[in-house]
Amino acid sequence: MDEMLKEFLAESAEQIEAASAQIVAFERNPHDAALIASIFRLVHTIKGTCGFLGLDRLQKLTHHAESLIGCLREGAKATPDVVSAILAAVDRVKILLGELEEAGEEPAGDDTDLIALLDRHVASCQSGQAPEPEPVSEPEPEPKPAPVGLETSPAPAEEVKGPATQADLDALVASLRRSAKQPAPPAATPVAEKAAEPKPAEAKTGESKSSETIRINLNTLERIMNLVSELVLTRNQLIELTRHKEDETLKSPLQRLSAMTTDLQDAVMRARMQPVERVFANLPRMIRDLSNDLHKKINLVTEGADTELDRQLIDLIRDPLTHLVRNCADHGIETPEERVRAGKPPEGTVRVAAAHEAGQITIEISDDGRGLDINKIKAKALALGLASTAQLERMSEDEIYRFIFSAGFSTADKVTNVSGRGVGMDVVRENIQAIGGSVALSSTPGRGAKFALKIPLTLAIAPALIVEASGQRFALPQHSVVEAVGLSGGEHRIELVQGSKILQLREAVLPIASLAELLHLDAPEHSAGEPEQLAVIMRVGAQSFGVTVDAVTDVQEIVVKPMGGSLSHLRAFSGHTILGDGSVVLILDPNGICQAVGLEQSREGAAARVESGRAAQSDKTRLVYFRAGAGVDKVLPLSSIARIETVSSDRIEVSNGMMLMHHQGRLTSIVAAAPDVDLKQGDNTVFIISPDGEPFGLLIDEILDIIEEKLDVEISGEQPGVVGAAEIGGRIVELLDISYFIEMLRPGHEHSRRKPDHKPRLLLVDDAAFFRDMLAATLQASGFDVVKAASAAQAQACVAHDARFDALLIDAELSDGSGYELAERLRDGGISAPMLALAPYATREVIRAAEAAGMAAAVGKFQRNQLLDLLRACLEQGEAPGLDSSFARGAAA
Amino acid sequence: MTYEASKLVRENAYAAGNALDGYFSIKVAEDSFGLPVTRVQTIFRIGSVTRAPGGPADIVGLVNLRGKIVTAVSLRRRLGLTPEPGGLGSLAIGIEHQKEAFALLVDEVGDVLTLTAETAIVAPPHIARRRARFAAGYHRIGGKILPLLNIDAVFDFAGAD
Repeated sequence: MDEMLKEFLAESAEQIEAASAQIVAFERNPHDAALIASIFRLVHTIKGTCGFLGLDRLQKLTHHAESLIGCLREGAKATPDVVSAILAAVDRVKILLGELEEAGEEPAGDDTDLIALLDRHVASCQSGQAPEPEPVSEPEPEPKPAPVGLETSPAPAEEVKGPATQADLDALVASLRRSAKQPAPPAATPVAEKAAEPKPAEAKTGESKSSETIRINLNTLERIMNLVSELVLTRNQLIELTRHKEDETLKSPLQRLSAMTTDLQDAVMRARMQPVERVFANLPRMIRDLSNDLHKKINLVTEGADTELDRQLIDLIRDPLTHLVRNCADHGIETPEERVRAGKPPEGTVRVAAAHEAGQITIEISDDGRGLDINKIKAKALALGLASTAQLERMSEDEIYRFIFSAGFSTADKVTNVSGRGVGMDVVRENIQAIGGSVALSSTPGRGAKFALKIPLTLAIAPALIVEASGQRFALPQHSVVEAVGLSGGEHRIELVQGSKILQLREAVLPIASLAELLHLDAPEHSAGEPEQLAVIMRVGAQSFGVTVDAVTDVQEIVVKPMGGSLSHLRAFSGHTILGDGSVVLILDPNGICQAVGLEQSREGAAARVESGRAAQSDKTRLVYFRAGAGVDKVLPLSSIARIETVSSDRIEVSNGMMLMHHQGRLTSIVAAAPDVDLKQGDNTVFIISPDGEPFGLLIDEILDIIEEKLDVEISGEQPGVVGAAEIGGRIVELLDISYFIEMLRPGHEHSRRKPDHKPRLLLVDDAAFFRDMLAATLQASGFDVVKAASAAQAQACVAHDARFDALLIDAELSDGSGYELAERLRDGGISAPMLALAPYATREVIRAAEAAGMAAAVGKFQRNQLLDLLRACLEQGEAPGLDSSFARGAAA
Repeated sequence: MTYEASKLVRENAYAAGNALDGYFSIKVAEDSFGLPVTRVQTIFRIGSVTRAPGGPADIVGLVNLRGKIVTAVSLRRRLGLTPEPGGLGSLAIGIEHQKEAFALLVDEVGDVLTLTAETAIVAPPHIARRRARFAAGYHRIGGKILPLLNIDAVFDFAGAD
């Protein structure tokens, strides 16, 4: 296919799409002259290009459609019939374009039927004139004069070929229209001509605008994306290698490289982004057709059409979204009579709103219809055997609503051609989950239903837990992980119920399975003590379940790569990736694992409980609760512990009063968590703590539990190695001070320069609990005292209570406003301490915004080392507010 | 877990062959095969192997070859021979098949031979079907019979047992 034709196809596809959307809009708002002019122009452009390329059939069809649109432009009434005729023509053009793209040449056949229809409408629009009975069936010459059937056609035979004739054509159409118009006042003539004239000029401005963008082959973009992914990996490896080197000459260019890589990654991601408008564009047409078919009055409202999302995802959400909108129109919205009876306006509304929210896209599809019928759902659930009457009685409404996501579930009494075939909601949920998203549902009887989709921004990079089972590491996408629970304590135990493993967790009863067994892994050659002491609780859709693993070794941003063809059939894995140390790990597919656990029919209720339990505890920290020496039990934030290992005493050597163990091919020092913790014969429990990539072990007596609790240290510790005491569940526990142990092991370490009582005090403001915990633990481990705030309001309250902060770390996007505004408010309130903006990535915009808000620097949340470096630099610079140095900019850029 | 990087032995093998009909002679256990030089991208020693649980038994796992994830396949297992000790340091040939990057584990890679229509012979009729499937033709060269490796069959796991 030649280049020109390709270009034409790509362009026309967009134009025809736009035209069809605009026609629907015009039907609703027939007085919008600008809209009809734009439609006319779009169709006219296609017609012109078709003529130029010698596509006769398309040209003829678009020509007639244009005539009819022209009538509308001249003020004819846009009746539903007229609009349907135009849409039919637009559809035909789409089909022809499609065939043209496949075959490379215009398909044979003719469109006499459609042309006749169009012409009849043209004739009747031009009033007075009776519709032409016989359609124009004449071949090549040209069609136009015949349909109008008016006298004065001076140049009927001379147009059609080539763009040169466009002006003539326009003039002709204009003159025809002029004579057809009822009043036909002479004064109108120049006006009409003017209206026709600027068209080519406008088309030109359109072209010059489009010259600012170029079409890029998708493969090219994919390749750039892949290269950038590789670059990110290489950068990570480089950072890993140089982390322990004190070589300044290397550090600074590396930091620049790192920052630029982040920037580049961001830019390429952006290039792949497209507005969701592309999906929304089809909706008005669909709603229009639906309201006609179903005899309902439906108004479609779309919001946030400019929200951008990875193009791969755009294609993947198209079907689920379309289905949900159909569903709302079909099941949700009542007939006008029903609505009036219910005291609602006869016209129903379907709202589709997209928004960018905390690194995710949310799309809400809601209607103001009748809402879900809970009794019908109950009846259907019973009929399908999804639950018993007794179970249904105990379920909350939300739990019952969730049944509609079960396979084969449809409560429509009669099957319409729109929806209700019972394939759908389960597929919708599956598709959304497959891309790491989720669907939530709420409904109020008589008021309407709402579906909320949460979709990740991109599929290429995702945070993941690195878990270990039988000596092999796997990446587990974090979006499906609810929590991790220690099993070695007394409280949570796996029980065998009729041969199946069950874990009781708070209120919920969860199915649980061993990851090693699911994957049929061989037992490792050297068993490191008691395996599978950690249960990772996951949630896939409505299902919650646990898998036991030996350890969670890390949380990393992984670059997801699809599996090669020979392994792509493995349902347990969704891809593979290369970790910072260069090793390959497989990425577990939560859906596949869910199936492997054997969960198709488990109760839907369990999920809701885990979730609500979790929501209530969102301001809590996950703590490892353990015994070390005599006295009260101790706690440490789970996030400060890289790994928990059981080490046999013969792997631990004592030399010079120091305990050392062989770990990952090198010697790692171990320190006792309390003076009276002694090395036991046999197995010992060691926390691996890795504050800066240099791990050390903390020897304890016994892990009691992993709990999620709000940690308020009330009495500050006078004892070395203890931050203070706190009350948890009615018992007193001591929070250990990790920085004390770091100092003990590494006297020369930079932390030791700061005495414990002079720890810089930080305020960390971030609305995401995960980052708050993670960063707080990192900062604490690096010798900072951290106060956490979950919102701008909380942050202001913290400052009002005690303003003595040495630095403030503020997330750029907070749930209750922007971080920059908060920074300005605090600054105005007299806070002079340096402030750092946190964002997923420190892009140039983020840095600029931070600078504008008077913040000292901006840094990516995942750039732990950079964050620490910047923070220390800011603190050393003292109180100087604002940004002076190219250092901060360079480092964060 | 320590990670060992894969090491290149020979890059751009095509340059090593002198003609389009150049073939590497590769060896596994007692068997030799001819492998078209044009299909060989690299020859390297594999580093750490990440096993792919649930995958075909002949797939040893995944290896990192200079930042690229490659599927490692044991030719010995493929042919039903005693598996090699495998793992670190095994010799592998980088071959792309249907857009997937593979590393074919072999015992030895020998010289480049030039095979022509004259050296071709008809297939010996009594070779077991299971084995014959992996041969794309037979040549007699230097007094020895050399089967050509049928790469498509080697990497087609769908049709395999």
